[in-house]
Amino acid sequence: MTTALLRLAAVSHSYGARRAVDEVNVELPVGARHAIIGPNGAGKSTLLHLVAGTLRPTAGQIHYAGADISRWSAPRRARAGIARTWQHPALAHPLTAVQNVLLAVPGQRLSALRPSRSAVLAAEAALAQVGLAEHADRLAGQLAYGDQRRLEIAVTLAAQPRLLLLDEPSAGLAAGEVTQLAELIRALSADITVLLVDHNLDFVAAVADTVTVLHHGQHVATGAPAATREHPEVRRVYLGTDLPTGPAAGSVPERPAATGAGTPVLRVRHLRAGYAGASMLTGISLDVRAGRVTAVVGRNGAGKSTLLNALAGLHPTEPGTEVLLHGQPLTGWDARRRARAGLGIVPQRRRLFAGLTVGEHLNLPRPRSSRPGAVDTRQVLDLLPALAQRRQHRPHQLSGGEQQMLALARALLADPDVLLLDEPSEGLAPAIVGQLATIVTGLATAGTAVLLVEQNLALACQIAHDIAVLDRARIIRHVATADIREYPNELHDLLAVPTAAAPASG
Amino acid sequence: MGLNVLVNPYTMTALDGVAYGLLLFTIAAGLTLIVGVAGVFSMAHGTLYLAGAYLAWYLADGGWTGLALALAAAVVVGAVGGAGLAAVVRPLVDRPLGQVLATLGIAYLGADQFNQVFGAEPRSVDPPRAVAGSVALGDYQYPIYRLLFIAIGLVLVVGLFWLVERSRAGAVVRAVVADPGMAAATGLRTSAVRVGVLVGGGVLAVGAGVLGAPVIGPSPGVDTTVLAYSLIVCVVGGLGSIRGALLAALGVGQILTLGVALVPGVAAFILAAAMLVALTVRHRAALPGQPA
Amino acid sequence: MSATPASVTTGASPRRARRLPRWSLPTLGFLGLAAAVALPWLVNGYVIALAATALVMAVLAMSAQLLVGWAGLSPLGQAGYLVVGAYMAARVATLTDLGPVQVLAATAAGAVAAAVTGSLAVRARGIPFLMVTFGLGELVHAAANQWAPGGSEGTHTAPVAALPGLPAMVRPGWVYLYVLACVLVIGAAVAVLVRTRFALLLRAVAAHEPRVQAAGHHTGRLLLAAYTIAGGIAGAAGALAIAVTRYVSPADAAMGVSALALAAALIGSGSMLGAGAGAVLLVAARDWVSGLLGGHGPTLLGLCFLLLAYLPRLRQASRTLRLPRRRT
Repeated sequence: MTTALLRLAAVSHSYGARRAVDEVNVELPVGARHAIIGPNGAGKSTLLHLVAGTLRPTAGQIHYAGADISRWSAPRRARAGIARTWQHPALAHPLTAVQNVLLAVPGQRLSALRPSRSAVLAAEAALAQVGLAEHADRLAGQLAYGDQRRLEIAVTLAAQPRLLLLDEPSAGLAAGEVTQLAELIRALSADITVLLVDHNLDFVAAVADTVTVLHHGQHVATGAPAATREHPEVRRVYLGTDLPTGPAAGSVPERPAATGAGTPVLRVRHLRAGYAGASMLTGISLDVRAGRVTAVVGRNGAGKSTLLNALAGLHPTEPGTEVLLHGQPLTGWDARRRARAGLGIVPQRRRLFAGLTVGEHLNLPRPRSSRPGAVDTRQVLDLLPALAQRRQHRPHQLSGGEQQMLALARALLADPDVLLLDEPSEGLAPAIVGQLATIVTGLATAGTAVLLVEQNLALACQIAHDIAVLDRARIIRHVATADIREYPNELHDLLAVPTAAAPASG
Repeated sequence: MGLNVLVNPYTMTALDGVAYGLLLFTIAAGLTLIVGVAGVFSMAHGTLYLAGAYLAWYLADGGWTGLALALAAAVVVGAVGGAGLAAVVRPLVDRPLGQVLATLGIAYLGADQFNQVFGAEPRSVDPPRAVAGSVALGDYQYPIYRLLFIAIGLVLVVGLFWLVERSRAGAVVRAVVADPGMAAATGLRTSAVRVGVLVGGGVLAVGAGVLGAPVIGPSPGVDTTVLAYSLIVCVVGGLGSIRGALLAALGVGQILTLGVALVPGVAAFILAAAMLVALTVRHRAALPGQPA
Repeated sequence: MSATPASVTTGASPRRARRLPRWSLPTLGFLGLAAAVALPWLVNGYVIALAATALVMAVLAMSAQLLVGWAGLSPLGQAGYLVVGAYMAARVATLTDLGPVQVLAATAAGAVAAAVTGSLAVRARGIPFLMVTFGLGELVHAAANQWAPGGSEGTHTAPVAALPGLPAMVRPGWVYLYVLACVLVIGAAVAVLVRTRFALLLRAVAAHEPRVQAAGHHTGRLLLAAYTIAGGIAGAAGALAIAVTRYVSPADAAMGVSALALAAALIGSGSMLGAGAGAVLLVAARDWVSGLLGGHGPTLLGLCFLLLAYLPRLRQASRTLRLPRRRT
């Protein structure tokens, strides 16, 4: 055997027909600081679950410290020295911080009436290591979000792990906290091997020595962070094309952008929304105009999907938020009323109804009575011919492209004034993305206001009239697509797109 | 000849099992949809059945009129009961334990009222005279009403399947089971669907009480028994699945009749084993925190 | 972005909410104990018998509370293990009239029954757990009708003796004091149990099960152990029940008894003492108040349940109990 602590040999995992992780090979020597990056749906979190044992591989082996652990249960892997964190801090909220840490300290008897002296010392040392010593007796649920993240790391450290798995450790943290976290991870003992998944590429560059890039569950590249940023394949994965900067002038088609485009249909003012104590969005203000496509771009985890879900009524907003549709405030309206008022959403991962056929999906929405002569099923099927052949099929029998078309059809049948599109290109082949672009452009031309969230920058630039850049929970720039080339470096830095122009390290 | 092979004590008992299973299905189909769609585990479901059975006893006049009257009353009582339950659990959204306690409280109030009005002794309900006798199947006499009940049960099964699996209303219900948030964002009235399912389930349960009264007659404690068996049907069949409920109900019906006849006393263990198998199969899906 | 936290519980555990002066708890405890011991000399035989029944239910409520308040699981079938324990005690009673021996045998029987059926129950969480335990309780009820000595009529037992050499107890006052002593011993054992690391792990499982798994613990086994211990406590309650009534029948496994135990545990909201007090309160409402009103025990109990459902206090407890996330 080599000195590898962890070796994934052609590991695959399928959810039904979809291969979330497809024959991935990774090898980590002892003491490695390795990161896994890739666009949404690349299979990063699934890979971490496979190593932690919360999921089992459908093919391939996982070797850890010389043993094949593919069939081991999660607790057994934990006892063998694999510790992990979750995307949202996994803590027992009703217990104090030190009690949470004590859960993981090994070598204690179940019948013990009080923790042994050595266990308490180990727990206090772990808390001190993450800088939470003075919060030891506070309830975990009462700690600030950033402290909860650090507490979770203390829990993992208390288990004296050999392999530490970190799932999106920087998500929801402020810039200063991210820096602290990077220092904390860099300062870990060299005996501890770290495998992390994160969207924040600056953080990854600061923490990891090596990086593996995944796309659609498949391995794209492995190497030093700087080297992978230069990798042409990686740039293609992130950008969707090889374009080094913004879209070339020729790629933006001439659009009749001015037709009635002056009237904003949807006005968003001071939108605030969060998740489990972490503020995802603070003070978002945005106008979506009829006949125009507005794209919101930003890093993964920047809160783009939260924004769309909050607008559609699928995610609660905080007081002070003002959303106006046709001048009518939507405050306190549930998802149904918003849908009836003219908001249609194509959510991330499509959220089709399991067990319903395509035909049944298309029968569900009722066009709003206020607008006679609205679209009917036939018109939508003309627009999306792929679905006509599949009326008796159920979502799991459809390809990714067909699923996306079905989700789009479901939204269109309600005849929305504003269409919210969340990552429509995710997991789709380029040809399908092209079809999608044509359809969305056509819808805008017909007068629909479209709010698009997309991390495929090329697609966003191709179909959007305006681009809003979301960073650190707020919109930092809102410009016409044609002007985006004036800010190429800033834009690429924000999106953390690996380009030659961007600085090599953070 | 062939009929003689087919007609023996065991097939007769199995036929009883079918009748029993179809009765359970009629009750449990409502409950499984109520749990699956509205997320309400209604402890008062057996009370609704008992209400129907007492209705049948009270209105029975030996003819069809009494049965028709009882059925008409069942629709009203079921709809009112379902709507009432919907009103009771409405403030308890996101508090399943509160819903259990509230519906349990109602079940207790109902049981005490029934005791007060109808007395503590079991009542036997006779089917209409026209179908009260029995018919010869080979060498055996079989109650006509039970055969009629099987026929009605099959019609109900077909009707329910059409309603849930083929109609638009059924598609709406299943969409709400699959993803309530997205269903609302598609413009569906999820809260109305919830009330509708509670009302529909109530009508089914009370109606089953009226039709099933000659099979499982009204007496104190029947509400709990019926609730327990329909709940086992729900657990085995999977919450929110009408297909699973049918299979589970027919299986439970056989266990409670043929199983008892073949190996007396083990029915409870077979039911427990069936729940074990069903839970083991769905174990990973049910655990919180697992990536779905 | 796909994974959401399994349960979003915030705030302190309710039982730490209020602070009383240091001396008040021991003083109150002592006064309560003195009153409990003095009870036979203060009230009539009927009330004493009721008080003994209330103590039995308090033990059953502690059994339920171990699952509700610590493991985060709501059982609706604890009466099944009570009946298993009661029948075992009745069986042992034909060999010896020694009460403590009966209690030990009943505890073992309840624990074994819970261990066997628990492998089924602990596969479910939330409302499905409640449904499965309810189904199990009803199956015990049905099986007792079929198999147990005396069938649905039940079986009578001889009076028990508290210690070797002492005569069997017939007067309700003595039986009450014997039950009180047993309850105090069981209560002390439970008080120790809930201060162990095992209990801490149970609370962590209730709060965030995957975290406990990731810390290397087999949560299924932890929950099964808790379920088994709860079954043992319920079995002990069964032995005490026949010491009080000298009679056991399948009707003791009725859902009402389990529901009362669960409701008592919820009233206690996270405290063993509170669960016991809740049980005493509910028995008082069901039997004593209804006696004063001339019947309607079930109605009073039903009103108690409704009241409990709408009380804001339960909000916290019932929030932790959610339907499992559906697949999308």
